[in-house]
Amino acid sequence: MRGRPNLFVDYKKESAILSNNTQKFWFTLMIIFSLGLVFVASDYWILLLTTAFLIAVAAWGLNIVSGFAGQISLAHGVFVGIGTYTSAVLGGVATSYVVGFELDMIIWLPLSGIFSALVGLMVAPVAVRLKGLNLGLVTLALVFIGSHLFSNFKTFTGGAGLGRKTAKVVLLGFNFENGLNIGSYFLEKNQLLYILALIVCILCGLGVKNLTRSRTGRAFSAIRDRDIAAEAIGINLFKFKSSAFALSSFYAGIAGSLLFTVSGGVEPGQFNLLYSITFVAIVIIGGVGTVLGPLFGALFFSLLPGTIQTVLHSLENFGQGLSLSTGQIERVIFGLFIIIFLIFEPRGLWGIWFRLRNYFKAWPFSY
Amino acid sequence: MTIFLQATAEGLALGAVYSLVAIGFVLIYKAMDVLSFAQPALAVVGAGIISAFAIDRGLPFWLSMIVGVFFTGILSLIIERTFLRPMVGEPVFSVAILTIGIDILLRTVLDNWIGLNPRYLGDPFPNFGNFGSLTINGVTLKYLEITAFFTAILVIILLSIFFKKSKYGVAMRATSFDQEAALAQGIDVGKIFGLVWFIAGILASLAGFFITGGFNTLTQFSFISALRALPAVVIGGLDSIPGAVIGSLIIGLTQGYVAYYQLSIESVIGFSLGSGFSLLAPYLIMFAILLVKPDGLFGTEEVERV
Repeated sequence: MRGRPNLFVDYKKESAILSNNTQKFWFTLMIIFSLGLVFVASDYWILLLTTAFLIAVAAWGLNIVSGFAGQISLAHGVFVGIGTYTSAVLGGVATSYVVGFELDMIIWLPLSGIFSALVGLMVAPVAVRLKGLNLGLVTLALVFIGSHLFSNFKTFTGGAGLGRKTAKVVLLGFNFENGLNIGSYFLEKNQLLYILALIVCILCGLGVKNLTRSRTGRAFSAIRDRDIAAEAIGINLFKFKSSAFALSSFYAGIAGSLLFTVSGGVEPGQFNLLYSITFVAIVIIGGVGTVLGPLFGALFFSLLPGTIQTVLHSLENFGQGLSLSTGQIERVIFGLFIIIFLIFEPRGLWGIWFRLRNYFKAWPFSY
Repeated sequence: MTIFLQATAEGLALGAVYSLVAIGFVLIYKAMDVLSFAQPALAVVGAGIISAFAIDRGLPFWLSMIVGVFFTGILSLIIERTFLRPMVGEPVFSVAILTIGIDILLRTVLDNWIGLNPRYLGDPFPNFGNFGSLTINGVTLKYLEITAFFTAILVIILLSIFFKKSKYGVAMRATSFDQEAALAQGIDVGKIFGLVWFIAGILASLAGFFITGGFNTLTQFSFISALRALPAVVIGGLDSIPGAVIGSLIIGLTQGYVAYYQLSIESVIGFSLGSGFSLLAPYLIMFAILLVKPDGLFGTEEVERV
C-alpha cells in the first residue's frame, strides 16, 4: 500500500474527509500555523484574519445554496444581518433605546444560526416556485425589505445611523474582555476572538466538506445540474431546496453573530445591497461549488485592505498622485477582480490552485 | 382629490423616467440574454458628465446634454466590446454578476468625483426655469416632470418606428429572435450588440438626467432611484418592451400613491410601515407578482427540457 496514495480498497476510505496522508499533513500544518499566528502577527492583521475566517463561514453558506444547490441568492447579507441582530439582542446589553438580555455565548451562538435558518426556511418556498434569474431578482427584493426592516425595528437594531453594540462575548462565564494568561503569555480579546473564529471556521469547513459527500449534498448537486431531471429520479425538490436555504442561512447566522463582535458595534446601513453582493463576489473569486474556494475568496477579500495599505505605504509617491482613497482603490480592485475572474478563470482562485497543484504533482513532466 | 391627482401626476412622471431605463434593460436582455445591472450606473454617469460640462466647465446646457448623452452611449458601447463580448454564451447569471462588477467600477470612480456635496445639472431654459413648476387646480407639476413624461413618450414612438421601419431595427429584432439564424442571414450580430448597448446607454443617460435634474441633484445615492427600474422590468417581463413601459408606470404610480397615502394606510392597518416605505413598495410588488407569474406580466413563458 505504501507509495500508492490513490489506491483505495474500500469506499469509506475514498470518501473520507481527508482521504490521504498528504491532505492530513497539510490540514494539521495549516491549523498549527494559524494558531501560531496569534503569537506572531500584529493586531491589525489578527483583526483582518478574524474577519476573513468569519466571512469564509458566511461565504460557505452562500456556496451551499448557490454553488452546490444552484439556487441563486443575492440576499445573503440579510441573513448575516439576522444572525448579527439575534446575537445582539440575546447577548447584548440593554440600553434606554435597545433591548438586550446579556445571555451566554453558548446560548446565543447556536440560536442566531437557528433563527437565521428559520427565516431562510420561510423564504425557501419562493425558491421552489422560481428558478434562475427570477429567483435572483426576488432575493434582490429581499435585500431591500431586509434593510428597511433593519432600519425600522429600532428596539432591536438601534435604527439607521445610530446602530447598537453587539453581543458581549462571554463563553461559559468567561468574559473575553478580561483576556487570558497562557503561561507567561497574555492573550487579549482580539486574539481570543481570532482563536474562536478559527475554531468556528474549521468546524464549519469540515461541515461543508462532509455535506459534499452525504446524500443531501449529492441531491443538491443533482438539483443544480438539472432540477427537472432530479425530480424525475425521485429527489424531493421542495425538501432539498428548503434545506439548502436553511443550511445556508444557518452558516450566515453563525458568521453574522460573531462578525461584528470584532468591531463591537453594528449599524443597519451596513446590510445594504453591496454587502450582499460582496458574498456573491467572494464565492465567484474563490471558486463556485468548491469547498476551499470560499475560504480563498474570503481571505483574498478581507486581506485586500491590509495589502493595499502595505503597498501604498511602500510606494508613498504613487499614493499621493492618486485621487482615490484606500477604500475606493479596494472597491475598484474588487470590481476588476470580479470581471477578470468571470472572463478568464470562472473556477476562481480554487481553479488557479488546482492547476498549480496538478502541475507540480506531475512535475517535471507535463502530464 | 387634489392629493390624488398630485400623486398620479408625480407617479406617471416617475414611471416615464423608469421606463427609459427599463427599455434599455429589455433591449439588452432581448438581444444578448444579459441582465445588465450596470444600467443604473450608466444613468448616473450620464448625469455626471452633463453636470461636469454644464456646471464645472460652464458650457451651454444643451451642448453638454448632447455630449453627455453621446458619451454615455459610447461608454456603454466600450463596456460591451471589452467586458461582455468574451462572455457570449456563458450562463445568464455569471454575466449578470459581471455587470455588477462593472457597476462597482463605474460608481466608485463617479462617487469619488461627486464627493459629499450634491451636484446640480444646469438649467436648460434659464429664463423659463427647469427648476420651476406649473400649478393647475392646485396640482403642482414640475417642468422637469412634464418634460420627462413627454420625452419618454417621444422616445418610445421613435424606438417603435426604428424597430418597424429601419434596416438596423429589423436586424435587431431578428437577432433577438435567433442569433444564429440572424448570423446566417448576413446580419452582423456583433454590430447589433454594440448598437443595442449604445441605445441602452443613451436611454440610461436621459433617465439619469431626469432623475438628478432640477432640485433632485446628483448624489452618491442617485443610482438607487435608477435601480428601481429593475422591479419595473421584472414586473413587465424581462423580454417585453410594452411590459417594461407598463411595469414602469405601475412602479411609478405605486411609489407616488404610497408616498402620499402612507399615513392613511398606516391608520387603517394600525401599525407603522416605517420611513421610506414608498421606496420599498416597488420591490414588494415585484415580489408578489413574481410569485404569481414567474415570468412577469407580459414575459414569454420559458419552456424547459430535461
